[in-house]
Amino acid sequence: MLRDISVSFSPHISHPLSTRSVMVDVVISLAPAMAAAGYYFRLRALILVATCVIASVATEFICNTIRKKACSLGDFSAVVTGIILALSLPPRLPVWTAVIGSVFAIAIGKMVFGGLGSNIFNPAMVGRTFLAVSFGALMTTWATPATLDAKMPKIAPENMIHARTQATPLAWSKMAINNELGADIYAEQNFKWTVTGEVGGCLGETSVIALVIGAVYLLMRRTVAFHIPLAVVLSAFVFGTIAYWIDSYSYVQPFYHLTSGGLLLCAFFIAADPVTAPLTRRGMWIFGIGVGALTMLIRIVGGYPEGVMFSVLIMNAVTPLIDRLCKRVPAGGKPNV
Amino acid sequence: MEAYIKGRLSFRGGVHPPEKKGITCEIAIQSGPAVKEVAVMLSQHIGAPCRAVVEKGAEVEAGQKVGDCDAFVSAPVHSPIAGKVKEIGLRSHAVLGRVQAVVIAAEAETAPVQAAWELNGDFDASKYSSEQICEAIREAGLVGMGGAGFPTRVKVEPNAQMPKETMIINGCECEPYITCDYRMMLERTSQIIAGVRLAKVASGCSRVFFTIEDNKPAAIEAVSTALRGSDDIEVAVVKTKYPQGGERQLINSVMKKHVPTGGIPPMIGVLVLNVATTAAIADAVVNGRALTHRVVTVSGEAIAKPGNYYVAIGTSVGNLMEFCGGVTQKSAKVLMGGPMMGLAIADLDTPLTKASGAITVLTKEQIGKAKFARQQTPCIRCGRCLEVCPENLNPTKIAHAVKSNLLDLAQSYYLSACTECGCCSYVCPANIELTGYIKTGKIFVARQKKRMPQ
Repeated sequence: MLRDISVSFSPHISHPLSTRSVMVDVVISLAPAMAAAGYYFRLRALILVATCVIASVATEFICNTIRKKACSLGDFSAVVTGIILALSLPPRLPVWTAVIGSVFAIAIGKMVFGGLGSNIFNPAMVGRTFLAVSFGALMTTWATPATLDAKMPKIAPENMIHARTQATPLAWSKMAINNELGADIYAEQNFKWTVTGEVGGCLGETSVIALVIGAVYLLMRRTVAFHIPLAVVLSAFVFGTIAYWIDSYSYVQPFYHLTSGGLLLCAFFIAADPVTAPLTRRGMWIFGIGVGALTMLIRIVGGYPEGVMFSVLIMNAVTPLIDRLCKRVPAGGKPNV
Repeated sequence: MEAYIKGRLSFRGGVHPPEKKGITCEIAIQSGPAVKEVAVMLSQHIGAPCRAVVEKGAEVEAGQKVGDCDAFVSAPVHSPIAGKVKEIGLRSHAVLGRVQAVVIAAEAETAPVQAAWELNGDFDASKYSSEQICEAIREAGLVGMGGAGFPTRVKVEPNAQMPKETMIINGCECEPYITCDYRMMLERTSQIIAGVRLAKVASGCSRVFFTIEDNKPAAIEAVSTALRGSDDIEVAVVKTKYPQGGERQLINSVMKKHVPTGGIPPMIGVLVLNVATTAAIADAVVNGRALTHRVVTVSGEAIAKPGNYYVAIGTSVGNLMEFCGGVTQKSAKVLMGGPMMGLAIADLDTPLTKASGAITVLTKEQIGKAKFARQQTPCIRCGRCLEVCPENLNPTKIAHAVKSNLLDLAQSYYLSACTECGCCSYVCPANIELTGYIKTGKIFVARQKKRMPQ
């Protein structure tokens, strides 16, 4: 009656979810941010995103070929890395630099560790850090959004040049302090623009609205757990508030910290990358709080205006320790052996 | 209406696979196949296997004991039919490999008929003593009919060290496709309730919860109606979720208490009985009938005549499937049980046991969707397996430790606390056979401790 019956472990049915569908979800959720980047930075955005994606995918393909491994492009993770890297690059970055960043991100950030799932650090952040360290000047040259004609206030004569090169809001605040002006002088005027995205900055980080739309999609689809993003945002807000209370002249308002820079992009798409974040909920909270706190530490105390890149990498490095610290206890308690 | 209350009682974790109960839930229990021969396994339960008490060539009557054992944790087996012992030989068993079975050739091929449950007037359980009930349960060879097959007498009998206070009747039936308990609750309501009252007397429990998932409003109504006017049994509607019917999860849902890891329910004073088992208790105590027949759901998209059948225990899976019209499409997998925890069998001569409540036949397309045919990717550490694990374990860590042959590491993540419900494998987007690795790891550990032969 029956010829070929197969035998396997239970369960014999499975949820339709796959690694690819998870990655595609992330791509979809990044679409609003990409659209916003396209709107504000026009062709530059398009070229950078396309470059990074193509370079990332090609690098993964080459690495697989060299290592004689099965093709892993089907999981779409290289596409996600490419997009996130592109969105964290400044608009005026030359294409060749973006290619170097993508190759480094995939080859050194991911493939040398053994590919998807084995990497310790977020590949996109590895690539970006490499670029930031190697091409410091290029990585801090910002472009004016195409929709904006020098709305930015000119704080000091020596900063006039920034009306054209358009520094990021956080860099402005740092400069304001250096020029002995209150940090808030700029923040108050600029808050609205940081929400819509009409400011200088990396491609994907400027528009809060676009990021939040994508994040809502991700959370509704339950593609990422809300713990890490919430922990990042909350801890950044708390530390920003403390700093603002201590010295409201030197430090900008906490809300401004949330809406400007890469904090939201980081919270929802970079820190929440499951491969490099802890597994347990308790671990996720620790990780998220760590990312938020380190970001604010670098922003407030450190020399860089922006700190998400380093804070994510630092917390990535301690993820295995967090996982070990936050072991789950079985529902019935520890067995008494 | 009480019957349409949404079940709020639940546990943490779990999944909600497509229920697929519609295939068989409206089909009343029918007589199963008339068989030429049955193979009564000598090990149908957890505990010591039985020895055959009949010899080859002996004539046996229907209901006669053919295997017994003196061990405490064991249950005798009986012949479901009158006939002659053809041989005592090995037969395939879904879990244990090959097991000794008493093969009985039938005198005449008669279809099994479910005896009516009739009582004059109200049933009074208190006229039986605890010892009487326990002895009847033991003699009838009752085991847990929900799947595990733990000897019922051992569970029910009062134990001075672990006094039982609460009894939970498990009518959840959380596995997809299976409807045998549902039909029992609709058609044999009074018999089940009689059995519950007997078990209550026998075990000395003071509180009884009758749990039913909220996707079975008809069963909730039937049981509530039958219990109207009495307050000794409380109906508890639980949330529809897999594995709600798992003993540990059910106790957690109803009582908000956890059975200790590696422990058993009586440690916290709880007794859990499946509805089919309680029906068998009533039959054993009142009518003195041994457990020789049971209701089996035959379901799945690949079977021609799905339904709920009253079948002689020892009937082969192949026989039953033939009786159900054979397979329709290219069926690819035959399961003893449901798709979540059921065991795929390779030998269709495998006899049904007391604990096999369902045969599910899946098509190629359905299996195609399941793990092994889909592309597996590395673990992306998404944490979904941790979210759904009802035992609050870390399935991916355990599975990967087993994969790397690091049994100590696997045990440090509480390998042995896994109940093998399959939620982690079900939900894994990377298509990793987490439950499979964990099961394998348990076998490795048992071998290490020399509890299992190589």
